[in-house]
Amino acid sequence: MPEYKSKSYSHIIKIVLILIIVAVAGVYVRAKVLPGSFGEFGHYRGDAVKDEINRPLRNGTNASCLVCHPYIREMHLKGVHHTVSCEFCHGPVADHVKDGKVIARLPKKQGRDIKILCLRCHNQIIRARPKESIKMISMPQHLKEKHVRTDHICNQCHNVHAPLMWVKQARAMVGVEEDSK
Amino acid sequence: MIKSIEKEISLDRRAFIKKVLGGTIAGSLLLVIPAGAMELEHIPEQIPGMRKEIGPFITGKKFAFIVDITRCIGCGSCCVADKNEYQVPDGNYRTWVERYVIDDKDNVYVDSPNGGLDGYQKPRKDLPYPVRDTFFVPKLCNMCEHPSCVQVCPVGATFQTDDGFVLIDDKRCVGCGYCVQACPYSVRFINPKTHTADKCTWCYHRVRKGLLPACVNVCPVQARKFGDLNDHESEVYKILHQPHVVSVLKPDMGNKPSLHYVGLRREVV
Repeated sequence: MPEYKSKSYSHIIKIVLILIIVAVAGVYVRAKVLPGSFGEFGHYRGDAVKDEINRPLRNGTNASCLVCHPYIREMHLKGVHHTVSCEFCHGPVADHVKDGKVIARLPKKQGRDIKILCLRCHNQIIRARPKESIKMISMPQHLKEKHVRTDHICNQCHNVHAPLMWVKQARAMVGVEEDSK
Repeated sequence: MIKSIEKEISLDRRAFIKKVLGGTIAGSLLLVIPAGAMELEHIPEQIPGMRKEIGPFITGKKFAFIVDITRCIGCGSCCVADKNEYQVPDGNYRTWVERYVIDDKDNVYVDSPNGGLDGYQKPRKDLPYPVRDTFFVPKLCNMCEHPSCVQVCPVGATFQTDDGFVLIDDKRCVGCGYCVQACPYSVRFINPKTHTADKCTWCYHRVRKGLLPACVNVCPVQARKFGDLNDHESEVYKILHQPHVVSVLKPDMGNKPSLHYVGLRREVV
């Protein structure tokens, strides 16, 4: 039997050495490339949760607006619109107050825009709205029924914050019991 | 008689001046004293006990989101609040409202012009048969218990937190879009500003500060509800544990969404 087995191991040593170098380099590169908090809670960067928590608030709540607007508060909370968000119509509070200082005025809808805004919720013609939930109006029939000009804008009769406030006051003054329609 | 009237007037005058002075002083003080509208201590906690949670995750709470499509009026307040909260670029929607129209022949038409951001002002006029029924379906992240988006992310940029929220790390995201394709509910998109994946987070940052998600907070008819299922007194617990028509979207996908719909209908996909 001839002896085929080589006595030289240099080629094996070379391969093992290369593998070790690759492994060490791999571990080093991974440690360099991955952010520090990676794998803290799972297969993701742990600090990403903190980043998300620290995202600045842009919308507050109605309470954050009404704390500085007591006159509106009085009206808004008493009226049927008390569930309507201030920021829906006026924009986010972060555009108005920053670091405890008023930085800008929030827009107020005027004229035709008010009508568009009101009809986002109250337009009967959409036919998709639950009957019990809110009052539905079809335009311009509503204006005709009330015997006013058809180019009237909603806030000429309805206070936008408490829609029935002026209506009730007017009824009390005149003493007329109108059919509640 | 005249004297008494004069006295009255002078009293009134004094009161008037007092009021004007008081108002001026109070007004000028308002300019000096910082207005605290955005400081948390001025905003009452909407989710009790959240501000005491200082650990990395919320403990002892399991949040669920419920959308009641029998209440939704399609006003789009939620979409407006969401866009404001996250300054979502135009044409992308973290949440949107779909309108379902069913005609006499039982054909179903779905539309969502500008994601419902401008509300629904006009009925659909392009339909051949009379409309039998219309309803609105708000859509948002389903916050799955088994999220397919997390499974496909190659860089660990989207993940599920220990408190059950699926979030995105926009510093790690490479914008490959796998998750956008993997989501069965199409809630993900590539944000054109950051070029990373983006989606609704149920306002994790607000929830951790004890506030309701922006869309829940603004909904005027309480069609969106958010709460803790471990609290047996909460509205969401009661809805899910009492007889109601409750379902989730695409249950066969096996993602087990935490977003439930009240009054969900067969036509909704």
